[in-house]
Amino acid sequence: MPGLLGALQIARMSFLDALRNRMLYGVLVFVVLLLLTALAVASVTMGRTELLLLDLGLGAISIIANLMAIVLAVQSLQQEHTERTLYVLLTRLPSRGWYILGKFIGLAVVLGGAVVLMHLILAALVAFFGGVHWLSVAQSLLATLFEIWMVLAFSLVFAHASSLFLGILLSFTMDIAGRFTSTIHQFSAQSDQPLLRWTGDVVYYLLPNLEAANLRNGAGDISSFGADRVTAVAMYGSMEIALLLALSAWIFSRRNLS
Amino acid sequence: MNAMLEVDSLRLSVPTGHVIQGRKQVLDGIDFTVQRGSATAYLGPNGAGKTSTFRILCGLCRPDAGSVRFAGEAVRGGLPARRFGFLPEQPYFYRNLTPHELLSGLGRLSGMAGGQLAGHIDDWAGRLGFEAVLHQPMHACSKGQVQRVGLAQALLHEPEFVLLDEPLSGLDPLGRERVRQVLHEVHAQGATLLFSSHILNDAESMCDAVVVLDQGRVVHQGDIADMLGTSKRWAVVIEGDAHALPAAERVDLGHGRTRLLVDGEQERDRLMDALRERSGCRLLALEQDRQTLEQAFVKLLQGGGRD
Repeated sequence: MPGLLGALQIARMSFLDALRNRMLYGVLVFVVLLLLTALAVASVTMGRTELLLLDLGLGAISIIANLMAIVLAVQSLQQEHTERTLYVLLTRLPSRGWYILGKFIGLAVVLGGAVVLMHLILAALVAFFGGVHWLSVAQSLLATLFEIWMVLAFSLVFAHASSLFLGILLSFTMDIAGRFTSTIHQFSAQSDQPLLRWTGDVVYYLLPNLEAANLRNGAGDISSFGADRVTAVAMYGSMEIALLLALSAWIFSRRNLS
Repeated sequence: MNAMLEVDSLRLSVPTGHVIQGRKQVLDGIDFTVQRGSATAYLGPNGAGKTSTFRILCGLCRPDAGSVRFAGEAVRGGLPARRFGFLPEQPYFYRNLTPHELLSGLGRLSGMAGGQLAGHIDDWAGRLGFEAVLHQPMHACSKGQVQRVGLAQALLHEPEFVLLDEPLSGLDPLGRERVRQVLHEVHAQGATLLFSSHILNDAESMCDAVVVLDQGRVVHQGDIADMLGTSKRWAVVIEGDAHALPAAERVDLGHGRTRLLVDGEQERDRLMDALRERSGCRLLALEQDRQTLEQAFVKLLQGGGRD
């Protein structure tokens, strides 16, 4: 299957390029410093230092991984366009959709590796102060992975914007909006106005629900682990990613590259 | 020869402006044919539409109208991926990859197997002279080295049709000579070349056909020899006192040298006889006086037509 093999080659090159991106290492150093700061803050609390450290650490990792996903996706696609790398890649592929798939896989592996690494560092720090509920942390990690992959997927949609700044701005706006889709839906459901309820429904079903992939609150509690919750996040995340990638591929295939 | 590429009535317009959108006609119904096995120069001033044509051929943008046929078959959405190689103008590739990693990835994308690929990459690096940077990151390569890597990726899978947008830009004289030699070899092995260039001396030495574009229209196409024209004039460059020598026209080249122009072979032979009889003159050069591609190009675009 030349299309899939092509996508895997794009993924391999994108992975190697992103892996050697200095920004990635700068961010990882920043995360370590942030975790050490969280450690300092947590150490002045009265008891349960490890829980506070876990909460602060998981929150920080999520924010930073989201930003990394947006910047890497938009910058990578825009740069390949302006430097004409895209041209020699697209002339070798049966359709542009394979390029989007390959780009997603390559960046998802790099981001996934970075997120796993950050979680391991955090878990080691937490374990130093008290017990770690590994299953709950793993559950939170898996959900965070789907969260950043969803962010990566919609950033690949907005990466087709006319400029780097606009692409990042739109992706960032979607990232924030994606945190409030449930809240907007709940509020609109209570309205007497049918139009408002309908608008709330549209927003709820149209925008990705990033809060659905937030299992960080239960990471410090063994009772929060549930295979059904993980499966639900994985299914929802996979479906959302597939839809967003299809949308990105559709937009990209209609675009004239100048 | 039969046609490898047939472009028929290709039209392309692009949007202009920000708020109120207008359209600018980039290609205004261009027609040309590239014969199989030929080396064709695709020439034109800046903004003539050369790169836009290449983008359409590669499937990077869609024309408003017109059609393209490749090896007799209608093309939709770009030339068939594995049968042609493309070098965009001033390319830049993944900054953090080495040329070896890049060529390996692009070779696999073109359907090459891992075993044959390594040998091919080393071979092309040697032929194009970038073996010293083969395992260095691309960001450490010079512009000329990146250009050579770009050329290698276009030729790596041995395509039957090669599309090159300014292949000699950014190269030093030695690099240009090497690339010219490689393109000669590729052409001699049977590949069809179509390339744009602003360096008309190189185009003249490498091509047997030419297509000239101006303001989105083809203003000339045919054999390069036809464009340059045949001349009955001969040019003789001598050193020494040339005043008494028979010539239709004389140009002082400085440093005691003179360029004499004579009409026809009879006049040329008479001049040679006169030169032999004079001991104070030395023959430096004798050549048929025909216009260069650059002169023909300028004349064509300034409305002078062909000789």
